[in-house]
Amino acid sequence: MQGLMLLAPAVLAYAVFAFYPMIDVIQLSFMKWNGLNADKHWVGLDNYRYVLADDPVFWVAFKNTLIWTFLSVIFPPLIGFGLALGLNQNIPGRSPLRALFYMPVIIAPIAVATMWRWMFDPFFGLFNSLLSAAGWPNLIQDWLGDRNVALYSVFIGYVWEVAGFSMVLFLAGLQGVSQTLIEAARIDGAGRFQLFRYVTLPALRPTITIVLILSLINSLKAFDIVYGMTGGGPAQSTQMLAMWAYTQAMQLGDFGRGSAISVVLLLITVAIVIPYLRWTLKRQEAYQ
Amino acid sequence: MSGVASPFRQAGAERVDPLLVALWIALIIVAMVWIAPFVFIIFTSLKSNATVMGTGAFSPPTSLAWENFTNAWRRGDFGTTVVNSTIITVIKVPLGLMISAMAAYSLSRIQIWGHKVVFLAIVFGTMIPFQVMLAPIFKQVNSFGLINTYVGIILPYLAFGVPYQVFILHNFFRDVPKELSEAALIDGASHFTVFRRIFLPVSLPVLAALLILDFVATWNEFAMALVILQDPDRWTLPLGLMSFQSQFARDYGQLNAAIVMTVLPAAIVYLIFQRYFVSGLTSGAVKE
Repeated sequence: MQGLMLLAPAVLAYAVFAFYPMIDVIQLSFMKWNGLNADKHWVGLDNYRYVLADDPVFWVAFKNTLIWTFLSVIFPPLIGFGLALGLNQNIPGRSPLRALFYMPVIIAPIAVATMWRWMFDPFFGLFNSLLSAAGWPNLIQDWLGDRNVALYSVFIGYVWEVAGFSMVLFLAGLQGVSQTLIEAARIDGAGRFQLFRYVTLPALRPTITIVLILSLINSLKAFDIVYGMTGGGPAQSTQMLAMWAYTQAMQLGDFGRGSAISVVLLLITVAIVIPYLRWTLKRQEAYQ
Repeated sequence: MSGVASPFRQAGAERVDPLLVALWIALIIVAMVWIAPFVFIIFTSLKSNATVMGTGAFSPPTSLAWENFTNAWRRGDFGTTVVNSTIITVIKVPLGLMISAMAAYSLSRIQIWGHKVVFLAIVFGTMIPFQVMLAPIFKQVNSFGLINTYVGIILPYLAFGVPYQVFILHNFFRDVPKELSEAALIDGASHFTVFRRIFLPVSLPVLAALLILDFVATWNEFAMALVILQDPDRWTLPLGLMSFQSQFARDYGQLNAAIVMTVLPAAIVYLIFQRYFVSGLTSGAVKE
């Protein structure tokens, strides 16, 4: 009884405002509804048919999401790993450096978007000023206005924002590497590279998995930075699935189509999350 | 460990390690790249528009245009958005931590029927990005008639804060020695007392870490506020900044002043409570 009373508030909030919408979105994806009035009716698979076959934006957004996710799993973790390796050494100024690299992570993503939008300003922004000062005017771009470049420009801002997150996780992982093991290997005559290859890297395996999965999931959350920097433009060239679902439902007033996009994205997420969760829970039990 | 006191040396070695010096220089260069956006934003925020257009990106402002801040504050209606963000954060963060801690205690110490399933359902939530299903969240809040209210945004914030916090606290509570709580229970204490008198005090460091992390996350949240708080009188800081950007994008000085004012509270909290951030992040993800 007491247990139930302690559990109830959190479970109630979670069930009503997090879990139920997750179920509801599936039901909505089979409906035609504008989100406001009472006229809501069943249309079967129509929304999916429209989204997958007729919607000119869906596959663009799908491709962009793939590129974005792919880049997010490679670059921020790599940079974070490099930074962590460096900061794990005996060098001066480690804590201020760590604080600096982590700083962008705690800044509101929408503020990061605003900052970078200003830095990408074609006339007075940081990048074009630097390029013209350096004498490379032919490299000057309309960073967020050119549809071939915009997605990658946004991504550069995103790397700045999130690399510190991977760094902190890797630093924690590195501190967990057994010092005795390293010492023993060194006494046995292992060189720097061999130490890294045969001691540090294997010990970091769980951390690497965690960082990669979290980077993957976080990349699907990248809504604010795209919304704030380009709003999906120019010509949908930075449109993503999460934002397209939002746009369909909340701005174009078609909750059915929006939900169908959400369901596609949720299925992709769940396909990644379930194996990872099983792995985490297994590790937890092993730890117990 | 020996040799930590004097920098640039491998553990136990007397000689300065040239590779470490090279690494350090590389890190400093990366740090300069990382800090550049901050410098650029702060410089711009103190320049008048004419100076922005007339001088180089990194030339420091000659006369400080503090009026950018007062003007941005007034035109961006920061008076309203700061109050809204503060009310929402001050209510949500402690309340959310409270219900999560209660639930985590209940799940780890009281064997209720079905507690495993509840735990799994909650942990599942840590991995699902809510950005994917903004429309059904809107629908749910709307069905309670809570659009444009503080309660309407706080409830889903609570719901989506629960999974991560319960997951971390559950791990922590599980490791509290059984004898501690069982002795008290045998003496007739209720679970409420054990929770309040034993579990809360021993978990203060974790609670502090989660509190700070959640403060920053709530303060910065954008996507959910975007769909639920549509009335400008209820806007939070991130929404206010976004609207400022779309209205006054050409008032460079003021726009950057608005960015600085939005970012500053979270940045200060971060700099003061730095070490809690790291422990809060890593206690969940990289537990060895």
